[in-house]
Amino acid sequence: MDPSLREDLLEAICLLTRDSQRSPGIREIASALDKPEGEIQSGVTTLAADGDVIYENDGTVTLTATGQELGKRVAKKHETLQCFLSEILGMDRSSASDEACVLEHAVSDDTINRIGTYMQSPPRRWSRGQGAEGHDTSPLPALTDFNEGDNLIVSGILGRERASRLLDLGVVPGERVRIKRKLANHALVVQIKGCDVALSPEVAASICVERSG
Amino acid sequence: MRFALIGNPGVGKSTIFNQLTGLGVEVNRYPGTAVALETGNVCYKKEKFEVINLPGIYSLDGNTDEEVLVRDFLLKGDADALIAVLDAPRLERNLYLLLQVSEFELPMIMIVNKMDEAERLGLSLDIGRLSGQLGVDVIGVAALQGRNVDRIVPAALGTARPATVRTPYDHHIEAALTSLEKTLSTPRHKNLLALQGMSQDPLLIDTAGSIAREIEQRHRMSVHQIIATNRHNYARTLASDVVAIGESKRSFDVDSLLTRTMPGIPILVATLGFMLLSVFVIGSWMERIIVSAFTNGVITPFASLGLPPLATQVGLSLLVALQAGLGIAFPFVFTFYVGLSLLEDSGYMTRAAFLADRAMHRIGLHGEAIIPMVIGFGCTVPAVMSVRILKTRREQTIAAFLITMVPCSARTVVIAGIVAAFVGILWAFSIYLIVFVLIVVSALFLSRITPGEQFGMIVEMTPLRCPQARLVLAKSWLRIKEFLFIAMPVLVITSIALGLFQYFGIIDAFQAIVEPLTTSLLGLPAYASTALLFGIFRKELAFETLAVLAGTADLGSVMNGVQLYTFAIISVLFVPCVSTIAVLYRNLGARIAVLASLYSLGLGIFIGALINFLMK
Repeated sequence: MDPSLREDLLEAICLLTRDSQRSPGIREIASALDKPEGEIQSGVTTLAADGDVIYENDGTVTLTATGQELGKRVAKKHETLQCFLSEILGMDRSSASDEACVLEHAVSDDTINRIGTYMQSPPRRWSRGQGAEGHDTSPLPALTDFNEGDNLIVSGILGRERASRLLDLGVVPGERVRIKRKLANHALVVQIKGCDVALSPEVAASICVERSG
Repeated sequence: MRFALIGNPGVGKSTIFNQLTGLGVEVNRYPGTAVALETGNVCYKKEKFEVINLPGIYSLDGNTDEEVLVRDFLLKGDADALIAVLDAPRLERNLYLLLQVSEFELPMIMIVNKMDEAERLGLSLDIGRLSGQLGVDVIGVAALQGRNVDRIVPAALGTARPATVRTPYDHHIEAALTSLEKTLSTPRHKNLLALQGMSQDPLLIDTAGSIAREIEQRHRMSVHQIIATNRHNYARTLASDVVAIGESKRSFDVDSLLTRTMPGIPILVATLGFMLLSVFVIGSWMERIIVSAFTNGVITPFASLGLPPLATQVGLSLLVALQAGLGIAFPFVFTFYVGLSLLEDSGYMTRAAFLADRAMHRIGLHGEAIIPMVIGFGCTVPAVMSVRILKTRREQTIAAFLITMVPCSARTVVIAGIVAAFVGILWAFSIYLIVFVLIVVSALFLSRITPGEQFGMIVEMTPLRCPQARLVLAKSWLRIKEFLFIAMPVLVITSIALGLFQYFGIIDAFQAIVEPLTTSLLGLPAYASTALLFGIFRKELAFETLAVLAGTADLGSVMNGVQLYTFAIISVLFVPCVSTIAVLYRNLGARIAVLASLYSLGLGIFIGALINFLMK
């Protein structure tokens, strides 16, 4: 049997079982996969022979432990891919689903995990300073690029040692800051959380900011 | 019962501490650190309670000496009740520390200080609501006016309890905390610290470390950053719920003058200049009184006792040491500390640091380094001790080297006693100028050759306020006590040792050996080398010894102007005093102590020889 048909079948049975809380019959599976019942019938028979499903006498299909595991895995791949295609790449949901149906059979578990991690926290712009990965090298505006009186929002801090004291003082991503004083050498006094903080130019240059809306 | 005050720097902990405890405050160096811990007693209903003023910190997750000290203190549960002090106008930022403190689950009460300032700014705080949110008793206090200070001790005794407020962390952090709690059954606050790499427990740090790495990979931010962000966000939620912002009474913002290059820099120079000049004038006046009183009252009677020669020698050395110590300590060092405390308590010091940042960068330091440098004008010992506020070894090394060159009170005495008195006041100022130039040149040189990196200044500018006389005096007193305890024993011991050397003729032998150097290279009389040697022990001793050896107090009659000038500049530059070498060794290690001593020795002799050569 075609491995992708096997995966499709297991995935469909897995999802149908989960949604309706009972074992589906051949007809339901066929309509879920939009395939003729005959093809499903023979597929399920093969699966039963392989020990992936149990084909009950009442015509319903139940997954065995191995079938259950494979089915779940494929379902997760589908979900992740569909989400990635629609949320991150901006495809519309139904074509994302169709595409995911094809890709899910070829994609490795590792790729899926990496896509999953990526989607939980897409690389924010300020990750630049963490260096080694360095996929985003576009120059970001730092505190020193703005002038006295500007209202800004912190988007990140470059470099970790310094970050600790800055974090304690409230310089965290998303926080509002206002430049109260800027000297010729770019030493700054910023107001953050109601407190004035004096910063050396090199410290100020390590704080990435955006103009607040 | 023991209470401990905990809070951010500048929230008024010390004011409250002083109002609670009155006089009789003890300062202990916490074992193994340079951080001072103030301890005092408070009486309530005829019972005595101990109050500890923990150093001001911003966070419990850091690695500065202060943060480690406070964290250890909390982990040990050394206090029966914590009194968390928060600053009403900056409540949100202050709640960040409070959220961390709450996690230690120690009985506590909370004080929101500076309610008066918040009212002036048009902020109104709902104390009852805050108390409900946090699950502890909260008292609104205006310590400067004494408002509600009397409620603190009864509350700490009666209603201290662990806060119920908990920061909701990111779900990955929460999951990690739960799983650590389940598998290792360690408490939440220890798990939080362990996730940020702080724990003594090898199993915990190992497990937490691997979880933390996983979380960091997912979030692309350090666990510390995630936790800090969560806390700040929660603090904002809490604060926005209890603080209502109304109309503020706008007053003139003095910072618009102080933090600009113009007129900020002239103000800075004038302020520091005025302070040093006042110390000089007041100090010389007081010194004359103390020294003559001591001579007439103690030394002359002792000398006329007619004891055996060895006993007389030892006794006189001891008395001279005491006299010199008191003659420096109170007039100069104490006056200086009063000025310094005024600058610090008014909040001006942070403005000075900001303005000095640019100049300090040129010499491989940053704004914060101005604080040890200014302290150095008073006494080099505490100045070297204070370089630990600089974050990197490189900055500490450069600063320590430069501080040993800053003319301290004792060197001021030498300059005043020799040059200002016998050569001329302008020549005295020229010594300051030369020393200043040498400091800058040395700094440029040191910043090139010292390995390591620069950290940069991150300083909270505490709001400007009027310093309180009592706090300023209390602080100066604590500092002078420190000076007396460190410097006095060294003074007494070295003075007695020198007395014995002299008695057994060792000094004469030394003088004979270095005579060629003294007379030909520096153009000074042979006995000047002995005076310089004495100066290593205490700078001002160089001046006194010179007078004794010359056989007259009128130095102008035995040495010419060039010789006096050369002598003064050498003794100002050459080798920091023994106490300084001792603190250099303790704080920065033997290598730096030796290098700094040799450097200044070489510099002193070189400049002395140069002046002798040019002016001869």
